[in-house]
Amino acid sequence: MARSSLSVVFSGRGGAGAMSAGELLLRAAADLGYYGLMSRLFGAQVRGGEAAALVQISTEPVTCQPDRFDLFVALDWEKVDQFASEIPLDENTVIIADPQSGPTPQSIARSKAKTIPFSMSNADATPLERALQSKYTNVFAAGAVAALTGLPADALQSALSAVLGGKSATVTRANADTLAAGIAAADTLDLDLRLAPPHTAPRWLLTGNQAIAIGALRGGVRFVGCYPITPATDLVEWLSPELQNLGGRLVLAEDELASINMVLGASYGGAPAMTVTSGPGLSLMVESIGLGIAAEIPAVIVNVMRGGPSTGIPSKTEQSDINIAIYGGHGDAPRLVLAPTSVRDCMFTGEWAVYLAESLQTPVIVLSDQTLGQAFTVIDPKPDRPTPLARRTTVPDGPFKRYAIASDPVTPMPRPGTPRGQWVGEGLTHNEIGIPVGGAAAHVAQLDKRARKFAQFDPGPLWGDVWGEGETVILTFGSGIGPAQEAARRVAAAGQPVRIVSLRVLSPLPVAALAHALEGARRIVVMEQNHSAQLYHHLLAHKAIPPSAESFARPGPLPFRPAEIVAHLG
Amino acid sequence: MSNAAIIDAASAEALDPADFHSGATPIWCPGCGDYGVLSALEHALAINGRPPHEVVLVSGIGCSSRLPAYTSCYGFHGVHGRALPFAAGVKLARPDLEVIAVGGDGDGYSIGGNHFIHACRRNLDMLYLVMDNRVYGMTKGQPSPTTEADWDSDIAPGGLGLRPFDPLALAIAGGANFVARGFSGRPQELKDLIVEGLRWPGFAFIDVLSPCMAFRSEEFGWKESVHPVARTIEDDRAAAHAAVLAEDGYSLGVLFKDHRPSLPARYVAQSSLSEIEQQFAVCR
Ligand SMILES: Cc1ncc(C[n+]2csc(CCOP(=O)(O)OP(=O)(O)O)c2C)c(N)n1
Ligand code: SF4
Repeated sequence: MARSSLSVVFSGRGGAGAMSAGELLLRAAADLGYYGLMSRLFGAQVRGGEAAALVQISTEPVTCQPDRFDLFVALDWEKVDQFASEIPLDENTVIIADPQSGPTPQSIARSKAKTIPFSMSNADATPLERALQSKYTNVFAAGAVAALTGLPADALQSALSAVLGGKSATVTRANADTLAAGIAAADTLDLDLRLAPPHTAPRWLLTGNQAIAIGALRGGVRFVGCYPITPATDLVEWLSPELQNLGGRLVLAEDELASINMVLGASYGGAPAMTVTSGPGLSLMVESIGLGIAAEIPAVIVNVMRGGPSTGIPSKTEQSDINIAIYGGHGDAPRLVLAPTSVRDCMFTGEWAVYLAESLQTPVIVLSDQTLGQAFTVIDPKPDRPTPLARRTTVPDGPFKRYAIASDPVTPMPRPGTPRGQWVGEGLTHNEIGIPVGGAAAHVAQLDKRARKFAQFDPGPLWGDVWGEGETVILTFGSGIGPAQEAARRVAAAGQPVRIVSLRVLSPLPVAALAHALEGARRIVVMEQNHSAQLYHHLLAHKAIPPSAESFARPGPLPFRPAEIVAHLG
Repeated sequence: MSNAAIIDAASAEALDPADFHSGATPIWCPGCGDYGVLSALEHALAINGRPPHEVVLVSGIGCSSRLPAYTSCYGFHGVHGRALPFAAGVKLARPDLEVIAVGGDGDGYSIGGNHFIHACRRNLDMLYLVMDNRVYGMTKGQPSPTTEADWDSDIAPGGLGLRPFDPLALAIAGGANFVARGFSGRPQELKDLIVEGLRWPGFAFIDVLSPCMAFRSEEFGWKESVHPVARTIEDDRAAAHAAVLAEDGYSLGVLFKDHRPSLPARYVAQSSLSEIEQQFAVCR
């Protein structure tokens, strides 16, 4: 019987092309109308380290890592031990490996998966052709697997050209021949991987990082200042040329202190601006985020979380920057912290973050993570978009007071160049005009002014989502939502309905909306990926959950998988 | 006349230094060198000819960094050491504005030292004015990167014992297009330097000797030490670097001018966002 989904690992030493193999399979499937998701596992070594592409293809949307993989394709066995523990296999997993690569290593064989020997080079090729093609084992293997799932050869060839991009004619030719050979060799494998027909519709294939970038561009961001840091770098690498195409600019700053200040400067100049970083970079930005809050300057700060503290586990996921995002900084520095609820939502939340920063004149932090950011995912592009909100820039009549205390805590901030609108953005405690003053009255008045912006902020239905029903609730955010939903589906199918409450606004906490969403709950489990239950304590501190709520917190780098959540629910 | 034409006509009118004065009372100690810098800047801006609303003054933290609010220009008083990247952000987003960063030697050479190097290298068309009093004034008298090795202070009794570094040599090595030294006690000459720096394409850096009355009153003796620079070197960065390292630190005037290009002011839009989004489409 044809299956509705397939999970495949392509693994090999760095340079063996595991990622291209995965992308080839995913892209061809996506073009035919399948959903899918590919995560990438890298070791610490920059070149030549281990690499694995974890690919899922399905007739239904895929929003989390699978509990186990159906197929493990070893392009070689060289470095697989280093991440074997991150790839769940079992006795039903099939391993495909070239006998020339040697025996299956113990770290993999331990799973009791059976290995099918498969020669990953073209048997009919001349020695010269073979020498040329031996570099493309990855394409050969991907071709064979894809053919077994039923993907047609022409779709695979066009996906291959997309993956290869602008490679030379010789390389393209050799790859195409190898792919054809791989497809032909599929017959020699006694494996049924046939997929049920897909539900076709126009879709998008992109990463969460790219989706946030698109959201920011939609929101009007045309200036980005940044410093490279995994797993945020691919976002800005994609964005840089596209910003130029749009007449905007990305500046590679000397460090994150510069990035955030360049962004505040560009924003002061009138351009919606963004910086993109990960934990260590966010740590460096903290003082200047406080400056942005005090001086009331819009800015979007995207933090693609990774394992911390210090340099932590740079290439792998964790949700452990909740505290620094919400509370990081000296003084009373309230800020907006948003978290996309899925790869698809990265676009929406990215765009919304720009509107909120601009309209509330304050830094907005977007907390994504490596799981969302680097998941290459097929999505139904979201037709709904947040309502555009703009910065107030008109100079009011009469003497201009940039930081006026008025009924509306948001006061106009004219763009430089506007006659009569001159103001000095001020990080010191200031009076209504913006002159530094040391007195209690001004201090309280301006703290109140800024606090009122957040007190009055009403996200409406955008605070988060409630999914499913049931008296058992999993309260989570970000990359926890996908696996929680999948777990809930399974538990519900077994007769126990589970409600998923997911937060898009982490700060200020939408306490009233949460109370409503949690009505009737008998068991509340706060699920998050960090060691110290940061979200749980944040919710408790704001009395957003009852003291009886449970914490289900564990650190990265392993992503949450549905079976783990089902087991936790008991 | 259209609105734009009225504004053009207004800005074409001669500007007065008083047009750049906000009226806010400086917190500076009586006799602080920074008063002279403020006055020279206001005079220079009037000559430069762009009205206050087209000028943005950016600073960090320190006595000297209080300057923006004392002018009638747009301004930003940020955190300690970060004036230059903030100013770069303004200039990159708004190349149409006159952007000036100001601050102290602690702000610019110590906590902000990395940004100083990279601002020189980026060479954006802006002016950086450092009020160099060779001391941390605001925190009440600690040695800065330009303080003499033997200058005695509470935090470093008998002196730090470290050779001060030369910000001008650093600026030349870093890639700045215009490198000069001024003295707050010579406001006329300082005004001329500022005008020239504002008009010179690329990153113009002026280290202004600006005595701290409160903690280094001996610096008022600088008026005896200063002298005109022997010659302005143009385009030969290596020669200028050598000359700056060899001089006594009190020569006033332009030490180096260059014509290195900067980043392009703007990129022209080539495509629309919806075209860009098409790269993600599958299963069309
Ligand atoms: C991050 C940070 N560290 C330390 C300080 C304390 N601080 C304020 S001003 C200053 C030094 C100012 O010296 P300088 O830049 O030379 O300016 P001056 O006051 O002499 O004009 C210091 C260390 C601060 N405000 N922020
Ligand atoms: S402490 Fe020194 S630098 Fe600060 S205002 Fe007084 S004289 Fe000027």
